[in-house]
Amino acid sequence: MATLQSLPVFDENGKIKERPMSVLWRSLEERIRGGADRAALAAEFAPGAAELPEANDGTSRRSFVQLMGASAALAGLAACVRKPREQMLGYTRQPEGVVPGKALHYSTATFLGGRATGLIATSYEGRPTKLDGNPQHPSSLGGTGALDQGSLLQLYDPQRANTLKYKGQDRAFHAFLVEQLAHSATLKANGGETLRFLMEPSTSPTLSALRERLRTDFPKAKFASYSSLSAEGWHEASEAAFGAQAEARLDLRDADIIVSLDSDFLAGLPGTLTHQLAFANRRDPKAGEMNRLYVVEPGMSPTGGMADHRLAARPSEMTAIALGLLGRVARFSKAADLARFAGLNSTLSAPQAKFLDVLAADLVRAAGKSIVMVGDRQPAAVQLAAIAINTALGNTGKTVRYNKSILLDPNDGPKGLAELVAEIKAGKVDTLVITANNPVYSAPAELEFGKLLKTVPNAIYLGYYDDETAACANWFVPLAHDLESWGDGLAVDGTATFQQPLISPLFNGVTAAELLASLVGEGDHGSYALVRGAWDARATALGLGDAIPASKWEQWISDGFAAGTAHEDVLSANWEQLAKSIPANAPAAVSGVEGYFATDYKLWDGRFGNNVWLQELPDPVTKITWENAALISPATAKKLSLAQNDVIDIKAGERSVRAAVFIQPGQSQDTVQLALGYGRTGAGEQIALEKGFNAGAIRTSTNFWSAGTVEIFPVPGTPHKFAQTQEHSNMDEGIKRSIALSATREEVESNKLEEVNENRGEQASLYEPVKYDGYKWSMAIDLSRCTGCSACMTACQAENNIPVVGKEQVARAREMHWLRLDRYYVGSEDAPEMIHQPVMCQQCENAPCEYVCPVNATSHTDEGLNDMVYNRCVGTRYCANNCPYKVRRFNFFSYTSDYSDVEKMVMNPDVTVRARGVMEKCTYCVQRIERARIETRVAGTEIKDGDVHTACQDACPSKAIVFGSLHDSQSAVSLLMKNPRRYDLLHDLNTRPRTVYLARVKNPNKELA
Amino acid sequence: MSTVAIAEVRAKALKARAELEPTPWIAPVKDQPKHDDSNINKSLLSYIWKDTDQGWLKMLGLTSAGVGLLTFAIIVTVVKGIGMWGNNKTVGWGWGITNFVWWIGIGHAGTLISAILLLFQQKWRTSINRFAEAMTLFAVVCAGLYPILHTGRPWLAIYWLFPYPNTMWIWPNFKSPLMWDVFAVSTYLTTSLLFWYLGLIPDVASLRDASVGTLRRKIYGVLALGWTGSARAWNHYKIAYLLLAGIATPLVLSVHTIVSFDFAVAVIPGWHTTIFPPYFVAGAVFSGFAMVCTLMLPARKILGIEHVITPRHIELMCKVMLLTGMIVTYGYVMEHFASFYSANPYEYFAFYNRRAGPMNHIFFLMVFCNCITPHLFWTKWGRTNLWAVWVASIFINIGMWCERFVIFVISLHRDFLPSSWVAFHPTWVDISLYVGTICLFLTLMLLFVRFLPAVAVSEIKELRLEMEHAEHAAHEAETATMAAASGGVPPAAHAAPISGKEG
Repeated sequence: MATLQSLPVFDENGKIKERPMSVLWRSLEERIRGGADRAALAAEFAPGAAELPEANDGTSRRSFVQLMGASAALAGLAACVRKPREQMLGYTRQPEGVVPGKALHYSTATFLGGRATGLIATSYEGRPTKLDGNPQHPSSLGGTGALDQGSLLQLYDPQRANTLKYKGQDRAFHAFLVEQLAHSATLKANGGETLRFLMEPSTSPTLSALRERLRTDFPKAKFASYSSLSAEGWHEASEAAFGAQAEARLDLRDADIIVSLDSDFLAGLPGTLTHQLAFANRRDPKAGEMNRLYVVEPGMSPTGGMADHRLAARPSEMTAIALGLLGRVARFSKAADLARFAGLNSTLSAPQAKFLDVLAADLVRAAGKSIVMVGDRQPAAVQLAAIAINTALGNTGKTVRYNKSILLDPNDGPKGLAELVAEIKAGKVDTLVITANNPVYSAPAELEFGKLLKTVPNAIYLGYYDDETAACANWFVPLAHDLESWGDGLAVDGTATFQQPLISPLFNGVTAAELLASLVGEGDHGSYALVRGAWDARATALGLGDAIPASKWEQWISDGFAAGTAHEDVLSANWEQLAKSIPANAPAAVSGVEGYFATDYKLWDGRFGNNVWLQELPDPVTKITWENAALISPATAKKLSLAQNDVIDIKAGERSVRAAVFIQPGQSQDTVQLALGYGRTGAGEQIALEKGFNAGAIRTSTNFWSAGTVEIFPVPGTPHKFAQTQEHSNMDEGIKRSIALSATREEVESNKLEEVNENRGEQASLYEPVKYDGYKWSMAIDLSRCTGCSACMTACQAENNIPVVGKEQVARAREMHWLRLDRYYVGSEDAPEMIHQPVMCQQCENAPCEYVCPVNATSHTDEGLNDMVYNRCVGTRYCANNCPYKVRRFNFFSYTSDYSDVEKMVMNPDVTVRARGVMEKCTYCVQRIERARIETRVAGTEIKDGDVHTACQDACPSKAIVFGSLHDSQSAVSLLMKNPRRYDLLHDLNTRPRTVYLARVKNPNKELA
Repeated sequence: MSTVAIAEVRAKALKARAELEPTPWIAPVKDQPKHDDSNINKSLLSYIWKDTDQGWLKMLGLTSAGVGLLTFAIIVTVVKGIGMWGNNKTVGWGWGITNFVWWIGIGHAGTLISAILLLFQQKWRTSINRFAEAMTLFAVVCAGLYPILHTGRPWLAIYWLFPYPNTMWIWPNFKSPLMWDVFAVSTYLTTSLLFWYLGLIPDVASLRDASVGTLRRKIYGVLALGWTGSARAWNHYKIAYLLLAGIATPLVLSVHTIVSFDFAVAVIPGWHTTIFPPYFVAGAVFSGFAMVCTLMLPARKILGIEHVITPRHIELMCKVMLLTGMIVTYGYVMEHFASFYSANPYEYFAFYNRRAGPMNHIFFLMVFCNCITPHLFWTKWGRTNLWAVWVASIFINIGMWCERFVIFVISLHRDFLPSSWVAFHPTWVDISLYVGTICLFLTLMLLFVRFLPAVAVSEIKELRLEMEHAEHAAHEAETATMAAASGGVPPAAHAAPISGKEG
């Protein structure tokens, strides 16, 4: 095992609060026993043996390293300043494997919604600085979502909770353990009758084992999970169809016809990464048969943008549409199982009926190679219709498989929470252990969970921030970050995944397992012992003997997962039950304006509210940063006399919420979409505080995803101001422009790509073309694969130390993202197509920025890179003016000087942190090229294709970005250069960009043309 | 021909000439039928010895407050960063460069008047050249602030843009028009300063000679650089003055041409156009003369120098504005025509966006001020009604600022990719800097008219002599004609004019 150093503990301002207690751990045992047994440890060894020699001022090992770094930095100054004599010490013994300045990579994992995404973490001298997808992991396949990328910053958030508190008073973890152990004796006496758990949805085998032990000790204790993004309809439907809590496992590789009923499976959210890749692999007609995507959804989503045919429908119409589809499939397919549904005919509008006719025919034609997927917020009827279609068409086992849910509490909806609330009201709960993320904020409003939580005498909340729930629970325990602790969980397919710490807890956090263990007296064992213990206990069941053999364990940890542990069980639907549960008629559509809720692409359920990378990441669709909005279609806005930026009160029943209007093309008529996760009020989350509005204020257990009819009252006064990174969405405004090009499958197959061909090829020049002898770096971006999920933007931000500027600066159009995702709408306002285009520095061979710089701060390398010399830049901004792609970003203020110590830890040491007044832009991750060059030079070889990946390329779940050198005619990027869909952005300017695009291909159904 | 007939012809000729030349370059003053050096000194120099005027003090107080604001805005910009301005990711140059080009343009009248008109021997330049040169100098000082301040790191920009030898062997990028700007503007400033100062020397010497009190005598003495007024000094002086005029003449064309290259060389639609150099130079002269009128009209009244800056001077300046205004209008028309005729969609959109975009009110204000206002000067009334001229000149100043804003900001804010289109809003710092430089300019002008002669007195004296001689010569020529007609002998030719020591 590699030795780990413990890093300093930070206080809420990010300043170093206390000296690390343990400097090194030489054995796992020592690590596990941690601070608890330090006395014993000290007795075992001679006094001071566990510590490095300390100077009189208490300088610890960590400080030595810091001083070393500082002294190296100041060495140059020694010539100028006479410094007092000081003793400097380096590593007396270099920790194994640590080479200063050289990154180490570890596999680990992150968990959202209980599902694991396998990650590879990059670490410099004990600081994780970058997360990438684990290419072997079945939930990642190398890709990451924006949330996975952003979770890294969460680790270094100076506003993280850092002390255990009882009623607001600081307590030591040990005091907590002692008190809870004493209390658990009384709980044991009543069999745990008054003990309740409200858990974060989890698949962790360790937690599962602990829960078993708790059940033994406290047989009457109850567990419930709560997620504010729970698929309520699905729970009901799967119970009806399968008699068990199931989950649908999708495999889009062989799906020819994909129907999404409000399923946002291309958005880069947890669990969707592999779908993105499988979908994208079928989007080039020259590389194989194309799939076709039909989307029916209430609001515009990245998935809707990728659709070949999209239908905007109100949430309350979705049941009618699903039943209409089921009826049509039944009639068209003549499948015996479906015969009973042939009579289904719901009331639909003419365009909807037409859409479904064509769609159903396509589905039936591709029986066994099609799939109907349904979004989490759809009611049971829609879910059941999809199960029926998939089963009847023989898609199950091919494109979709229904498995037993892998969650410990499969139903993580409001039902369990409502039961808990009832028990609290009845005074039946004495001890409530909460590991669910901030339920006081996210619980349905009518439950008034916060108010009730205050009445629970021994409420223990394990939270990452001093948030709304922390304010209501008597005990508050800080949660450790995924990168600070050991843990485990299951991938979407059930593969056991291990979470390995990269750093000691910075803020005294503990894991959920440690918290649960505290009730059985093992709270001080540390997360490693709990995970390892749980797995050793399972060893026999896995056929590995009494304990997991060390070699096996090390293999798993280094892989990040235990190969071959996927769950293979299959559930099949019961037709009788299905027939009984599928209603004959859809409920009438909601009258008036219908409100409904949406999962936010950036904050998810609100837990990333304090994450500045994600807050500043523009929403993939609206391009709004730092807040949410009430999305209303252009026609509905006109009907309601509302304009963009108007402030409105949205009233649902007795509850109301104040929001600002944003006109969203493609939004269904008479609906208002409200994203969850904003409008936070927790005291400890200054960043999240009062950004946007809390849509949850009008959310109830019964109206969990749809708010039903809402009344809208305009609020007079000054209009709101959104901070958008893109305000113009029509690329043909004023004139026709060739920017984000699209073609149909027929056009590609018959090579009729006129617009693409016009935007490619050499142009006449009076100058001799520059010869490039060595590497010729280049990038190709396939718009057919890009869904706009924005993971690349966050990955770029993490890799390149890109500062965050805040809402006010974004509103002034000064965001710093080197890579942006341009989003355009094509067609009518009410039913537009949406296309995304990642734009970063195009690395022009004829760069307009270069010749205008008066100080030569941006110049060309002999490998064709357009380099930025920060030291030389004086900031005339002439280059940015003259950049036709507008990819250059200027440090208008000093955005980096106020970083606290802990925030600085996230910085990539290979990339300069830019000063005020300096221009910056995409470098093609030149630091990665240089690293590869150093390595290959040492080895005496050349950089091969695939040796250098840019950060955006690494992150992209659908592999839309390919980077490499053109000097190798067989490199992936060279081959893409010859692709008939390839074109240059703003080709007629003859900038000869090295970044090229591949036009997006659509596969429309002629019958819907 | 009889004497009577001759007298009639003469009377007719005189009348016709009087109509053609309504006023002489130096107008007669009441109670002083004839100018001489002493009363010229009295009227053009002696106001410097008067006690400080309360009105002047009040104005100086006001403008100094503006300079204070300017200082504050500069400190804010340097300490906090360019983010205090309204610029953003798309509009890299906002008010800063707009103001820079506006000020440089204003400076153009001075060089044109002092250099080109001197070479073309235009007598009327004599009364206004000093004032216009001072204006040039102060305008260039104001202009020069912006390129330094608008950089992200002015403490480095201030010398990294100059080609100086350094251990790293890094030179500036000679391909960059900003580099050319550095040379153009610094040359312009140096030449303007030398030209203005050289012209001042004989007048400062006059002041030295007339000053009461040692301090004044010492200050003016130092400034006069030991001017003696000897024939040799005058000889050298005249040669130097002519040489400087020769050097400054190409600058009139080059400075704004090079400034226009900042834009013409770029690829941005609305910038990338070959018409810029002539159109910028014409615009610069246009705005320069407008500013001369704006300041000169009140100044000649307040300083009591109306007899040397006559309505005839003002009329001529109006004619220059009329001409340059029409050149500028032609430039606008051609730009829009070319955008349509080129069939380049981006080009077309850039100009469409000027006419119909979100900031088109500024475009139309520019059209009104620059294209319509100068047509007032076709009429005699328009050229001679001083209020009309003054108001029109202010309109032209506003129009020319708008022109720069339209070209720089409106072209930038919506260029190629609509995803990057943004709105532009100036901040209080932008406004403070602009108001501040106007106040700095006015402060310098106020100090100038208080302590230095606003009119080139020695040149006026020279002009007076020339006029006198011309009158004599005309008279004698006439007499000779008459004598010839009556068979008489012409009188001896008049002695050559003497330029003796003046003051």
